[in-house]
Amino acid sequence: MTDMLSILAQHGYVLIFVVLLAEAGGLPFPASIALVAAGAGVASHALWGPSVVFVAIIALLLGDSVQFFLGRYMGWALLGFLCRVSMNPETCILRSAESFYKRGKVTLVISKFIPGVNSMAAPLAGSMKMRFAQFLRLDFLGALLYVSAYLTLGYLSRDFLAATLRSIHLAGRVMEIIVAAALVVYIAYRIVQACKYREYKVVPRVQVQELAARLTSDYPAKVMIVDVRSHGYYDIGAERIKGSIRIEPNNLEVEIKNLPREKDIYLYCT
Amino acid sequence: MAHILREKGFNTFVIVGGLTAWRKAGEPLESVPKDDLVKLPTFS
Repeated sequence: MTDMLSILAQHGYVLIFVVLLAEAGGLPFPASIALVAAGAGVASHALWGPSVVFVAIIALLLGDSVQFFLGRYMGWALLGFLCRVSMNPETCILRSAESFYKRGKVTLVISKFIPGVNSMAAPLAGSMKMRFAQFLRLDFLGALLYVSAYLTLGYLSRDFLAATLRSIHLAGRVMEIIVAAALVVYIAYRIVQACKYREYKVVPRVQVQELAARLTSDYPAKVMIVDVRSHGYYDIGAERIKGSIRIEPNNLEVEIKNLPREKDIYLYCT
Repeated sequence: MAHILREKGFNTFVIVGGLTAWRKAGEPLESVPKDDLVKLPTFS
């Protein structure tokens, strides 16, 4: 605990700024833990409370604003990217947009407390063309709530934190074993996945030039170009390859009935 | 998706680089028809 407080006293404001900026920028940084530690630092007079609040809120607003403007200028592509890890990207995009439209204001205020939602709220607000002044106002409220909550927790539980840190030291060995086991499980999972995909026949890949040349000779009798992007159909002015059709990946079972078996099917995404 | 189509007997290929490569090569594009656009809600 003494070590931690000494680090906080020396580099506390910079550390808080960097960690909170990184987290607001979408990186997996433990901002809440940094704030709890800062709260303990305030309780032991290593840091000055109002400065911590100021630095933390500026970092959060800065990171969130970058995300907001990324969402504004990238349109739905950013949400599409964030939804790629979802089991069903199409549903993820539609549900996120509808849910945020209904509860967007409240979501912005509480989003920082909800892992996953915190990285999507600001870009969603940008994609959905929320006014920046309104976004900033709501985001400020959210940041103030978030920073105050964790600083207060750290401030009130300084003694508990010291005890916890001692326990964490003891539990360190156990954690190492758990992390190593998780790593082994993850590697095994990746190997199983790789073997599973090896069972499929390899799908031939064609270069753009090759297909373009084919289009001038065979098109459209033997060729069908299919757009399988899970986003790209949300922004006015969106483009696709000339003559292509869209197949929604999640609706494949239905769409497959209309595909011609006599044609070569060329798939593309973003 | 390409794997699934192949399994179902379709002669499927994947375009390397997707739409980005197609655009970079200067090949023809078209606007997505209005009827195909999915309307998502916006605040403005």
